[in-house]
Amino acid sequence: MKNKIKLALCQISSKREDKETNLQKIEKQTLKAKQQGADLAIFPEMSLTGYVVLDQVYELAEPVPGPSVARIEALAKKTGMHVVYGMPELSEKTRGTIYNTAVLVGPKGFIGKYRKMYLPTHSVFEEKRYFRTGYEPAAFQTEIGNLGLTICYDVFFPEVFRLARLKGAQLIVCISASPAVRRGYFEILTAARALENTAFLAYVNLAGVEDGLQFWGGSRLVLPTGDVAAKAKYDLEDFVVCDVDFGDLKTAETFVPTLRDLRSELFDKLKTYSEQF
Amino acid sequence: MEQVNLTPAVLEIDFSEAQTRICRFIKEYVQNAGFKGIVLGLSGGVDSSTVAALSSLAIGGENVLGLIMPEKETFNQKDIDDAKTVAEIFHLETQVCDLTNVVEAFFKGIPAFDAQDRLCKGNIKARARMICLYYYANKHNRIVCGSSDKSETLMGYFTKWGDAAADIAPILDLYKTQVRKLALHLGLPKKLALRPSTPGLWPDQLAEVELEIKFETLDLILYGLERFISPLDIADQLGVEAALVEKVKRRWLSNEHKRRLPLPPKIGFRTVGNDFRLPRHNY
Repeated sequence: MKNKIKLALCQISSKREDKETNLQKIEKQTLKAKQQGADLAIFPEMSLTGYVVLDQVYELAEPVPGPSVARIEALAKKTGMHVVYGMPELSEKTRGTIYNTAVLVGPKGFIGKYRKMYLPTHSVFEEKRYFRTGYEPAAFQTEIGNLGLTICYDVFFPEVFRLARLKGAQLIVCISASPAVRRGYFEILTAARALENTAFLAYVNLAGVEDGLQFWGGSRLVLPTGDVAAKAKYDLEDFVVCDVDFGDLKTAETFVPTLRDLRSELFDKLKTYSEQF
Repeated sequence: MEQVNLTPAVLEIDFSEAQTRICRFIKEYVQNAGFKGIVLGLSGGVDSSTVAALSSLAIGGENVLGLIMPEKETFNQKDIDDAKTVAEIFHLETQVCDLTNVVEAFFKGIPAFDAQDRLCKGNIKARARMICLYYYANKHNRIVCGSSDKSETLMGYFTKWGDAAADIAPILDLYKTQVRKLALHLGLPKKLALRPSTPGLWPDQLAEVELEIKFETLDLILYGLERFISPLDIADQLGVEAALVEKVKRRWLSNEHKRRLPLPPKIGFRTVGNDFRLPRHNY
């Protein structure tokens, strides 16, 4: 496993309902990332289809693995890159059940997926109308480190990140489609999730406007200390390559030993009280 | 229990940020929809002046056409002068379309026309302006940019299918007092930004007189209702009669029909305006 990796925060805007255009954009950006020495290219939530697709999601969803994953697998093989991106996933066992999914692909093919656990259904968000919630936290051991996967609104729920971390993730990827009115929350919470778990956190948000919803970009790499090591532009498409040195984890974990200090018995109480309030 | 403190400060927003967001929204819509520009009604009032300024800043004044649409009964040279001032500052084209003959033809052509009913008569004027705007939009491959604000829209203080008819509504999420501040931020003349609002349906019509409330108070009441504060708490905090807040609330709720597509009965699998939900980018 590599101790140092480079990752590319590929902050794109997607063309809605146009998977081919978006796949081409992902391919182009991944090649650019490769040229700049990156090991991992990360794309936003639902970047394959666009975020505000409403009922069209039933036409756009695909199994994972499936045709679009196959395109990304070919890209990963060709470039030797790892790629994370988001898409609506059609359940293989039913015909109308869809998940909001993050996909991880590596040079040897499909590695794993994460189905969003917390689906925002309030304000401008209607995710529970369309998606089934996921149940499994995601952490995958790869040649470039142990990568956790999370999606957007999950960031408001520390347990999703903690589960990924305890499952082994050292770099937690959070792909997102967050509109501008929420920028302040995400800037605080991404730092908090990294710091409380002493993990690297790569946050990659959409840019652009979909049905009046303006995504704020601002993708970033947060260090295990909570410091922001690299940051993309607000609002606009951007591409930022940055370094992760997993050697920094030891310093962070010993300086603020949150993992050492975890008390498992409190989680029983958390379960009890969360069922009662 | 902690609650929102209803003072004018709650309506203070970052107007630079608002300008950026609105301009990006306008530019993205016009570009992605493949239109050549914008047409908008230019009345000389704060709402249309602000929307004209934002449109010009977003896509360039040469791509924005402001229609000045006077008619005999409400003719006011000052409105026209103010509209032209805005056009000069923000370098947009203008076209004067005198609608006197158009509205009089409607008056004559409607057998049941009642000249004394100024509301029904005035609504014809608002709808005639809409027809004129959409003519230019069709003819020149432009979109119609609306100038409805949040205060008047929540109050239903507009003509159904008249002044609210548009393709985009850039200031619809700003209360009137916020629009005035944005206007000043954009560099519109103070006298224009602070000018009393009128829908221009009949002579000397004034929004605050008809609504029987100052926008400074109305906006705070609406802000409170938007945040689920009870009418009693709102009245208490603002030092106004509870009946006034209840009246605003009733008016807000009873005008929902003006803010939506026509209500259909549910019959099919997916129903337009109900559970048929499509993204708005396939223009």
